[in-house]
Amino acid sequence: MNFRDRFLTAMEHAEPDRVPVMGLILDTATVNQVLGKKPTDLVGMLQKPILRSVLRALMNNHWYATRAQYRNAAAIMETAIKLGFDANWSLYWTMQLNPDPAASMGMAFHDAWGRVWEIGSDGKGNMVTNYTRSLCETETQWEAWVEQKRPVYDQLIADATTFHKRLTQAYNDRILSIGYAAPGVFENCWQPMGFVNFTKLVYQQRDFVKRMIAFHTDFYLRYLEGVLQSDVDIVLGGDDLGQKTGPLMRPDLIDTLYGESYRRIAELVHRYKKKLLWHSCGNIYLFLDKFIEWGFDGIITLEPTAGMDLAKVREQVGHKLVLVGNLDVSYLLVRGTREEIEEAVKQAIRAAATGGGYILSPSHSHALVDATRLQWMIEAAHRWGRYPISI
Amino acid sequence: MASQDAKGIADALLNLDMDATVNQVKSVIHGGSDISLEDAVRALTTALETIGKRFQDGEWFIGELVYAGEIAKAAMDLLTPRLAAGATRRLGTIVVGTVAGDLHDLGKNIFISYATAAGFDIVDLGVDVPVQKFIDAARKRQPLAVGMSCLLTVTAGQVGEVIAALKHAGLRDSVKVIIGGAAMTQGFAEEVGADAFAPDAVTGTETLKGWSA
Repeated sequence: MNFRDRFLTAMEHAEPDRVPVMGLILDTATVNQVLGKKPTDLVGMLQKPILRSVLRALMNNHWYATRAQYRNAAAIMETAIKLGFDANWSLYWTMQLNPDPAASMGMAFHDAWGRVWEIGSDGKGNMVTNYTRSLCETETQWEAWVEQKRPVYDQLIADATTFHKRLTQAYNDRILSIGYAAPGVFENCWQPMGFVNFTKLVYQQRDFVKRMIAFHTDFYLRYLEGVLQSDVDIVLGGDDLGQKTGPLMRPDLIDTLYGESYRRIAELVHRYKKKLLWHSCGNIYLFLDKFIEWGFDGIITLEPTAGMDLAKVREQVGHKLVLVGNLDVSYLLVRGTREEIEEAVKQAIRAAATGGGYILSPSHSHALVDATRLQWMIEAAHRWGRYPISI
Repeated sequence: MASQDAKGIADALLNLDMDATVNQVKSVIHGGSDISLEDAVRALTTALETIGKRFQDGEWFIGELVYAGEIAKAAMDLLTPRLAAGATRRLGTIVVGTVAGDLHDLGKNIFISYATAAGFDIVDLGVDVPVQKFIDAARKRQPLAVGMSCLLTVTAGQVGEVIAALKHAGLRDSVKVIIGGAAMTQGFAEEVGADAFAPDAVTGTETLKGWSA
């Protein structure tokens, strides 16, 4: 059985030859470790005035940025293939590097939806960016922002379509490329406004929030349709609905505000005869039944540090949702021993793999996830994940 | 009647009704109610405690917690300038920041919103806070506690460095350390010598109240 058949069989809740293994958006540090590349000190370069100007011009140049994104994605796919993953997700994104007096470096990336991504280092010489702030606070600011960015959204959809077509054409004979459509509708509503501000809008300006949701749903569906026109078999949508101890907002409120959007997203994917995996960080027990109602085919992350117990999730919804993830990235895949990783892999397979419907994967990615430990995880999955499961 | 007015303020907050809460507090301020300013503060505090319990019992969620904090803050902003000095006891100063290398602030801001509404004075150092900035703030503000937020495993080591620097500066015995964030656990708190781990804003605030008592 090849990687595609293996993955798609598991997605049908049937037993393939062995448990499939999926990689996430592998960090630059991981890619460098596997491909033997040296880090590029972009953070250092951005602190030198002349280099900063050159880099800013390059990063904000459409021609350069689209090619750089493809090169990065291709390097991630090569890394995933070398490590032995059956599938890996891929993401197309767009941001502009702008002067930003409030940012620690005096400049930051601003994305098309109104988020600020501050620049930092991963401790291994590579640049990382993290969402930190919003660029809009009021209805008027948001309206002006999205009006100004309309051409960017159209370009983004066209670029993402080309990106995923190219990537699947280049890699579909070696690995399953899973197209990631992000950010999600919920995140796109609250992050450009800030969470505290957004909660006020939900309670005080519900009509405006509904208008934002309608706008982002329309954009998301157009973007997703672009991804679906490529040769992807699976698409990965995402919205972080949980935090460490539970939902960010009450599940019935999320259902009221966003349920229709999620149903339309799932329907679109299914119209293309493809499957939808949904990414959400955090403790999401209270959303599991909603995910089924909304039409998702599977969920990915299942963070153990947020209390997600694979066996419990399997028992609750494993007959309806394919489960992906749950391997710890706070300790296990950072500093864990080979024996600990092997035991965790066995435990995950034991908890969720019988009958199919489980895909082994780290619960998330970050710069300290160690490539050698990912390799141990995959080797253990190959060793213990053969069907019929007998551990 | 008086207790009904206090209950009205508490109910308005528990119903997450910003306008009703603020209007009833304004009525107290302008003499349209029989209850005192202090009674209004107590009503808000009691309601916040109920909200915290609902959150911890899994009945309410972060969104409600944050919005309740914002309503209570709006009400307290009206009441505080009119209260006689010392009429309501502030619970203490907390220096808060996200550790160096980590730029996330959602969890920190939720904590600040809730803890402020509960009666703490917060010194927010922001995100990506160097060790020395925590030390300087602890020395200058003499807080009840230093709170560190850390979402990323990659920057978790910074928490231990701040605690070590507090010891080195001779401040550790006079200040409590509380940590929270996705990368933090009770085990990690014990490992680095923090006084407490807070899995959420309510637990963190309750821990601080215990230290403030």
